[in-house]
Amino acid sequence: MPSRRRTLLKVIILGDSGVGKTSLMNQYVNKKFSNQYKATIGADFLTKEVQFEDRLFTLQIWDTAGQERFQSLGVAFYRGADCCVLVYDVNSAKSFEDLNNWREEFLIQASPSDPENFPFVVIGNKIDVDGGSSRVVSEKKARAWCASKGNIPYYETSAKVGTNVEDAFLCITTNAMKSGEEEEMYLPDTIDVGTSNPQRSTGCEC
Amino acid sequence: MDEEYEVIVLGTGLKECILSGLLSVDGVKVLHMDRNDYYGGESTSLNLNQLWKKFRGEEKAPEHLGASRDYNVDMMPKFMMGNGKLVRTLIHTDVTKYLSFKAVDGSYVFVKGKVQKVPATPMEALKSSLMGIFEKRRAGKFFSFVQEYDEKDPKTHDGMDLTRVTTKELIAKYGLDGNTIDFIGHAVALHTNDQHLDQPAFDTVMRMKLYAESLARFQGTSPYIYPLYGLGELPQAFARLSAVYGGTYMLNKPECKVEFDEGGKVIGVTSEGETAKCKKIVCDPSYLPNKVRKIGRVARAIAIMSHPIPNTNDSHSVQVIIPQKQLARKSDMYVFCCSYSHNVAPKGKFIAFVSTDAETDNPQTELKPGTDLLGPVDEIFFDMYDRYEPVNEPELDNCFISTSYDATTHFETTVADVLNMYTLITGKQLDLSVDLSAASAAEE
Repeated sequence: MPSRRRTLLKVIILGDSGVGKTSLMNQYVNKKFSNQYKATIGADFLTKEVQFEDRLFTLQIWDTAGQERFQSLGVAFYRGADCCVLVYDVNSAKSFEDLNNWREEFLIQASPSDPENFPFVVIGNKIDVDGGSSRVVSEKKARAWCASKGNIPYYETSAKVGTNVEDAFLCITTNAMKSGEEEEMYLPDTIDVGTSNPQRSTGCEC
Repeated sequence: MDEEYEVIVLGTGLKECILSGLLSVDGVKVLHMDRNDYYGGESTSLNLNQLWKKFRGEEKAPEHLGASRDYNVDMMPKFMMGNGKLVRTLIHTDVTKYLSFKAVDGSYVFVKGKVQKVPATPMEALKSSLMGIFEKRRAGKFFSFVQEYDEKDPKTHDGMDLTRVTTKELIAKYGLDGNTIDFIGHAVALHTNDQHLDQPAFDTVMRMKLYAESLARFQGTSPYIYPLYGLGELPQAFARLSAVYGGTYMLNKPECKVEFDEGGKVIGVTSEGETAKCKKIVCDPSYLPNKVRKIGRVARAIAIMSHPIPNTNDSHSVQVIIPQKQLARKSDMYVFCCSYSHNVAPKGKFIAFVSTDAETDNPQTELKPGTDLLGPVDEIFFDMYDRYEPVNEPELDNCFISTSYDATTHFETTVADVLNMYTLITGKQLDLSVDLSAASAAEE
């Protein structure tokens, strides 16, 4: 099944609680947004078929399911990621400052074979809040941090109104694709244990 | 952390994580804590450096063994039966979507001084060198009887009431010899000692049917399956299920202290100066040591090798059961091997385990019959651990404590404990039968 490697791409989304990770996923995959905030319940992973050039990919986007709130993600969550998305809220200085910790945590837990070149994408979300007047992290500052960490691509989004979400995920897909191709992983034959389709979308608005 | 939950679960062992997942799906508000910064507790999988730290007291393993992260060494090695309770639980909860499985290559038994493949069907029995030609005919008839046996259909009972007839009496009817009795009882029915011979035969027959059904389930060369990246994946998968349904997770919480009211009923857990309130506690024995008693010890060896276990037809994953009588012991010895084929070691490396209920204080000497089967090893570790069971009254204190993992290399006893605890905690029985029929239907 080496072909499975080239068609299924795992993307994980990291960041502090409340920055809008689940909303970004839902906006991208389901074109939905919910104003009702709860620390994530019911979000799992979502899949989306993506056509790129002449090939079809299944993007498997993993939410943290709320386990990031008390730093309790397990190593299995990180394993096999093809791209890591770091999300912060432009209205929360702390969530931006924590990006460094999230990036370091990813590199420790996932142990990619080429850490210098592993693809990250940074998203500054919630640019719509109060028309931008409560913003505390400037775009310039964010871009400088991204440049200092190996020129990480940077996008500013609003999951609520959909601003730039599509563009951000196009970049994520492109980078995940390159990563997926470069890694030659040993993939043993696996068996189907259950009735569930592992690529089936699940989750609800949060 | 100061908040109220219905259930607080302490320890992220497999049993605790399954319960956390089941309860969260039921809509119970769960807080799950662990003193460690990783999932799995006693049932975790360690990378190479963690293994070295635990058993050698050194921070780093030798570099020639390969990258630390390529190792996922189970601390409680067990295979899953293809039709067994754990697979049913995984399907019931849809946790299979977080995991990948591969069939286990071989199931063997040590009988008459040799490692031999376990036959489980009349066809295989005929090919086996385990038995002579006349014994094969007798065993074939016995296997056919078991295969045809249907609890609800008296025509299949051959005039016997298996809830009264003992296993010994049933076997005597077919005239099987001692070695055949050994491999059937221990490597097919997976009994851990010989006490089953004097018990009603029903349980043994149902176990044999489970073995055959598990073998047929994935049409493999053994009845077992095993997850890629090792068993440490299972607690994490069930923990994620719990989180998706609203469970709150806090790893790295030292000193989880359970608080009780004047009447001895649990009211909460304190850690780092904060207290979370709850109605019930679920935990492994280490979190409530005063409410458990020691029930035995397990001796185990963990070896890193560069080859499969000899005489297993180059199996990359294999179980070898050594029945107690073959060693003049009180209980069986288990040998378990997995490898880079299941992504638990770097390319070319194999991880082997030998375990048994300890009957001496010297694991190295006691485990020798098992370690001798391994051939040359690159590294080997010996260890003993205590097993505990709860002695409290859950209806009085609302504490539900799991029993420690046993030495067997399969999960049936583990899940039985979980299901029993689930019923004690919720008052409900978990129905795992429908899902498998649905799974079978999907395959047709």
